[in-house]
Formats: sequence, C-alpha cells, structure tokens
Amino acid sequence: MLNYIWLSLIVIGILVAVGNDVRDEVQNTYRNGNTFGAKVEIKKSSPGAIQVWEGDLVVPVGAFNSFYGVQSADTVIHQPVAITVLANGTPSISLLIGEATPAFWKQMAKGASSKEKLTGKLKALTLSPEGVPMSVQFVLEPIRFLKMKAVTQAALDIAGTAVNIALGLIGIMALWLGVMKVAEEAGLLKVLTRLLTPITKRLFPDVPSDHPAVGAMIMNIAANMLGLSNAATPLGLKAMEELNKLNPKIGTASNAMVTFLAINTGGLVLIPATAIAVRATVGSANPGIIIGTSIVGAACATIAGVVASKILQRLPRYNKPDSTPSGAEVSNG
Amino acid sequence: MADLFRSIINIISIFAIPLILLVFLSWGFFKKVKVYEVFVEGAKDGFNTAVRIIPYLVAMLVAISIFRASGAMELLSMALSPLTSLIGMPPETLPMAIMRPLSGSGSLGIMTELMKTHGPDSLIGIMASTMYGSSETTFYVIAVYFGAVSIKNTRHAVPVGIIADVVGMLAAAWIVNLLFG
Repeated sequence: MLNYIWLSLIVIGILVAVGNDVRDEVQNTYRNGNTFGAKVEIKKSSPGAIQVWEGDLVVPVGAFNSFYGVQSADTVIHQPVAITVLANGTPSISLLIGEATPAFWKQMAKGASSKEKLTGKLKALTLSPEGVPMSVQFVLEPIRFLKMKAVTQAALDIAGTAVNIALGLIGIMALWLGVMKVAEEAGLLKVLTRLLTPITKRLFPDVPSDHPAVGAMIMNIAANMLGLSNAATPLGLKAMEELNKLNPKIGTASNAMVTFLAINTGGLVLIPATAIAVRATVGSANPGIIIGTSIVGAACATIAGVVASKILQRLPRYNKPDSTPSGAEVSNG
Repeated sequence: MADLFRSIINIISIFAIPLILLVFLSWGFFKKVKVYEVFVEGAKDGFNTAVRIIPYLVAMLVAISIFRASGAMELLSMALSPLTSLIGMPPETLPMAIMRPLSGSGSLGIMTELMKTHGPDSLIGIMASTMYGSSETTFYVIAVYFGAVSIKNTRHAVPVGIIADVVGMLAAAWIVNLLFG
C-alpha cells in the first residue's frame, strides 16, 4: 500500500506540475512578450557612462489586474524599480522584489533568473524636460515552467530538511533512551505497566504485559496526550525497538506495531497547544474553544484507527508468509 | 470549566519532564542501579536510531513535497468538494483535511491562512483549527517510527492511518457544525 501511495504522490505531483505549466504556457498566464506600460517616480539618479535611475513604478491596480487577468491588491501599486542604460545605449529595467511587490509578481519572480528581481527589456522611455524618466514601456523576461522549477526546488530542499530533522533528534533521543534504560533496570516500568495491564492486554495481546515495550508505549501515549512532543517521539521509537524484539518477521510490521501506530497517528492530545497558539496570534476572542472539539475529533480518529487495525490485521493480503523474506527464511529450494 | 481544565493540563505539562527525571533517576538510585553508567549506556543508541531514520524520512518527505509544490492539492480539493459539502464541510477546509496527514508545516500554514482570511472564530476558522488539533502527521509518524526499526513492509499501517484520518476529519467537521454551526 505504501508503495502505491508513495509512487502516486510523486507521479501525480510531477504530472500535475507539467499540466499546470502547459496550461500557463497556452494561456500565457505570465504575459510573456507583452508590453507593460506604467508611470515612474524617480527618486535617485546616478548619471555617468552607465546611467541608473531608481524609484517607484506606479501602477493603478485596475491596470495591473486587467493586464494579468488577476484579482489582487486594493491600492495603487508602488513597485521599486531600477532603470539602467549601458554605455552602448542598451536600456534595461528591473523590478526589485520586496514588501510592496504585488503577489503575482512575487510568484513570477520564483521562476525568474534571479529570485530577488524581475528583469525586462525597455521598449520605450519618456523623459521629462530635466532628463528624468516619467513613464516606461517594457517587456519582462519570459517566465516558464514555474511549477516544474518549484517541484525541483522542493524536492532538493526537503531532502536536506529530512536529514536536519533526523539529526535534531539525536540529542533528545539520547536523553530519553538513557532515562528509560535507568527506569528499566530499576524495575520502574514494570510497576507502571502493571497498573494498565487490563487495557494493554486487550490492545496488544501479542505483547507480554510486563514487557518493557508496554512501559515505553504507555509513556509515549502519556507524553503525546500532554503535548510533550520532545519526549513523545523518543519514547515512541524506544517502544518500536522493544516491539521489534518480539517481532517474528524482521523488516515486516507486527500487529502490535500497527495498533500502536494507530494510537499515535490518532493524535489524542488534551491541549492542542500549537493550534491554540496560532488562534491567539491571529486575534481569536477565545483561542481555547477548540479544546473540546479537538478531543472529540482525535478520540474518534483513535478509536477508528484501533478498530481498523484489529480488523485489517486478519485479512489474508496482510498475512502473506513471503511478503518480505528475511535472511533466515530464504531457503535454497 | 474549560479554562480550569486548560490550566491544570498546562501545569502538568510544565512539571512532567522535570518530575519524570527526578522520580525515575532517584528511584533507580534507591534500587542500587548505577544511574550514570546505565544512563550513558542507554543514551548511546540515540545516534544510531536517529541516523537509521534518515533514508525513510527523505523518501517520504520528498514525495510529499513534490505533491505539495505541484499544485495537485488544489485539483484534489476541487474534485472532492462536491462530496464533502454534502456533509456540511465547507470546501475551504478541504485542503486542510487533505494536508493534515501529509505535512505538519504545510497544514500549519493552511490553518493560519484560513484563520487570517475568514477569522479565527468563524465556522471555517474553528473547523480548521479543530482539524489541526485533532490529528497527527500520519505519514511522518509512519516514516519515522518504522524507519527507526528498519521496517519496509508496513502491512496494514497505511490503510489504518488513512481510515483514522478520514474519521478524525469527518468527526471534527461534525462536532464543529453541531456546536458552532
């Protein structure tokens, strides 16, 4: 199943990106080759062999929207701009991407040769009597394959992020594995597990109720419920390692592992701290109002997950003996 | 009532880790465990576990980020919206429901955006934050947890995770409609 989903995410992603790029090309979404005209307000002139003017491109929002066929911004656009005339007389224009830049140009800049600016060829330049530009007509560099570029960038960036996430786990992993080892040697986990044996015996019938895996799972679920994600992940991984010691087929998930994962992905949290924090930041009158609804949602998800794991684990397709041959099982015949 | 509950849980959360450290380590000391040596012995595995996760995490996150960057989410939301509007789930919250099991940071961004656009106390705002609060990033959990023990054949874990997510999202939509609709 994971094979299909994994491949579908990649294939659908790339095909949709190609489709979107083709559509943009056919509709000329980014108006490649079209001439854009606007007034300029020059704030700084640097005369010399290479003449540079800096200032704002002033575009009424209606003109911008009708040129690109978009709905954006509700005021006059003041886009920082630099006009350069080289010694041989070649004029060029660049729109510097910043706070004041309309969202559509920001989006276009993601596919431009430089991420910080959109460059273009100057078609016409109207000078004031003082020799300062008053209005310009220009054609921006062609923007193509925006989605394909985004897909490439995303794939390369996230591969690095994945390593950072894993390396970031080393420290807290070490801390909790150390604490758990002490608890194990002291027999503390056994005391903890004895209290919850009636529940854990039903959830994980294949796991002996005094096994260290049970202790680690209880600690993980408790940490998750309290929202201590720094502790929950290391404890969960410890639990997986303990469950793996009971796993007859190395490399293949056991029933207990899937049930444990179902409880984990259900995400039962008493206080959804992140969601509450974001609600408070965006100015909610009552950020905590979602506590009750979140508990209901997560409880339903957890129950559904556990029930589904108990039903699906019986299906023949998930019990093929040869699904992943481990070293010991490979025979010569 | 909700405020009292919240402050109790907050206090427990703040004290939990220091208390666990204190109780576990001193209990070990009383039981004659060589606490420092045993701690270090256990902590040694932290590095191996973290490094073992890397290939699984790269595989999973790359696929998800390609899917996100392509704009496939918008297409999927459009295709599913007639179905979900039947059960009273506003189409605006659909990208949230789809993104939640795939990406933690992605769904956080969608939730923030929805609340900024529609207001945090609107039906959409409450539903989006309930959806965020009532679920985990399923595919991340699967990659990390199975990666740590080098499990490649996940058997029924993915269908179970998806069933749990669908039920969770529908339950969130139902309860929010019931209480705030």
